[in-house]
Amino acid sequence: MMPENKALKYITNIAFILLLILISVYILFPFYWTVNSSFKSETQLQMMPASFLPTDPDTGNISFNLTNYKSVLQNKEFLMGILNSIIVATATTFLALLAGSLAGFAMGQLRFRGKKITLYVILSMTMFPQVTVLTGLYAVMRALNLEPRLGMILSYMIFTLPFTAWVLTSFFKDLPREILESARVDGATFFQTFRFILLPLTAPALVTTGLLTFIRSWNEYLFALTFTSASRMSRTVPVVIAYFTGATTHQEPFGQIMAASVIVTIPIVVLVLYFQRKIVKGLTAGAVKG
Amino acid sequence: MAKQSRTKLVIEEEKAAYKLLLPTVIILFIVAVYPVLQVFYTSTTDRVFAGSSETKFIGLENYTQLLGFMVRELPAKTDSEGNLIVDSETGKKEFKHPIDVLPMRPVRYKSAYQIDIFGNRYVIGARSPDFLRAIVNTILFSIIAVSLETLFGLIIALVVNSKFKGRGIMRALMLIPWAVITVVSARMWEWMFHPSRMGFFNTVLSKIGIGNGNIAFLAADSLQLPSVIAADVWKTTPFMALLILAGLQMIPQELYEAAWVDGANRVKQFMTITLPLLKPTIAVALVFRTLDSLRVFGPFQVMLGSQKYSMATYNYYQLIGNREMGLASAIGVIIFILISLFAFFYINMLGVDTE
Repeated sequence: MMPENKALKYITNIAFILLLILISVYILFPFYWTVNSSFKSETQLQMMPASFLPTDPDTGNISFNLTNYKSVLQNKEFLMGILNSIIVATATTFLALLAGSLAGFAMGQLRFRGKKITLYVILSMTMFPQVTVLTGLYAVMRALNLEPRLGMILSYMIFTLPFTAWVLTSFFKDLPREILESARVDGATFFQTFRFILLPLTAPALVTTGLLTFIRSWNEYLFALTFTSASRMSRTVPVVIAYFTGATTHQEPFGQIMAASVIVTIPIVVLVLYFQRKIVKGLTAGAVKG
Repeated sequence: MAKQSRTKLVIEEEKAAYKLLLPTVIILFIVAVYPVLQVFYTSTTDRVFAGSSETKFIGLENYTQLLGFMVRELPAKTDSEGNLIVDSETGKKEFKHPIDVLPMRPVRYKSAYQIDIFGNRYVIGARSPDFLRAIVNTILFSIIAVSLETLFGLIIALVVNSKFKGRGIMRALMLIPWAVITVVSARMWEWMFHPSRMGFFNTVLSKIGIGNGNIAFLAADSLQLPSVIAADVWKTTPFMALLILAGLQMIPQELYEAAWVDGANRVKQFMTITLPLLKPTIAVALVFRTLDSLRVFGPFQVMLGSQKYSMATYNYYQLIGNREMGLASAIGVIIFILISLFAFFYINMLGVDTE
């Protein structure tokens, strides 16, 4: 190691800590502001200048107010939205993993003609702009007369299925082919080998890709907005939050919007922090490797 | 005999593979291949959703309607004797109104932009000025947002790649904006940008003497794009930082040790080891993020509505608001072509390894 000036080292350390604080504030501040606003009553929200903690406008004491949470949790459209989001995101994840693991097994383990072209077509689809197919999909949904939630599940396949198929292919590729061959000798069919031997081995990959698929479907807005434009009760959380209008107020009810935002964000944040390592691996594997 | 049974096995394996691929192929055909073909076809018709009139084939008319533009010089205003009229306050030339130089027939061209070059003023007239502006907005948005994200992402990645107490917590914190729903993040920022001192930015800016506490971030033309960019950069920087961090971790530590021995300082190490080895990672991340931001929808739709369009929100409003399926399809095709061009250009320029 090169000798370093002590004072210089001290300054660098302080600068580094300041940089850390700056980054943390930048990342956390909007979320902190949302939580702060969600605990303010209508009058507290209208205080100028805005306060950094919910304070009583008359006494100046800190006072948290739960009205926004109460009214949001009694809002039928919001609760329906959560239910719809859970249904749509869960079903999408399940379907994308099911079809994706079958395809991943075929492309990662089996030998067949046209493998390369299939892989490239599927990879190119991960880059495909969703908005381009918007009109065509809308027409398909109307022609099939699909219930909006089913329509969303099916349409989300366009960005989830190529992803799961691609990632799972690379996982199946890493498994030795001897497993398949010895199972064949023992008389197992390809499907049996897949279902009972190889699929359990890819469980970690299934969890990661499943989680990412779930979050992407939970997040999706363009298709959800378009396909539920005529059916209020099928709306998912992002659409409900985008359309949030108060029943009584003339202004936009930002207190309630913020409370709703907190409610739908916390479970995902907890999930993400819990599966942190897996998620980072999945995100970077999909991008850096792909 | 042995050879024959091997062939049978090969055929069997191939059959199994095709069967396993079938669900994926069918699903992708319904949701991707067929709709794309339909979009390309519909873009050449005047189809209106739930319309009473018969759909007609109109060739490239939708495309010329969307992209048709012309540049005209705006003549200076003169009085009846041919003298220039000069603004009495600013002392600048006054120009005629765009309506005087843009054609009305057979189709009307409306002013999309006015540009001053060397004291002359030019007007860009377009058949769909909103769409022309949507293209410009989207490209500007993408260039600025992606550059900022890359810069911030690089800084954050370098910070969390060095050793310090609490590094694990920092790496976890980074994921929070990524986990927030895009619409929710747009709403959060919309509220922080509230055009009164009820909003965070007006509160803070008026305290330090900028503005009167009533800056209309989302209504003032010059502040709309920066506001949406601020929201988007916050939401997507973590993704960039994660990708760059993964790239940093792939650089072998021995290189730095060797550089120390050779007496290279940190700056030199960064320039000669980190940056060159990070280039492929940054290139891939840039491609991903640019293609993503060219189809930006949520932040524009939530924060700006129909005040200012991105290409995707313009498409949405033509389809759902105006029920113009033909026109909306053409917009989809144009977005597709633009994104493909960007991808092609990027991959060639940055030399991204396609393997």
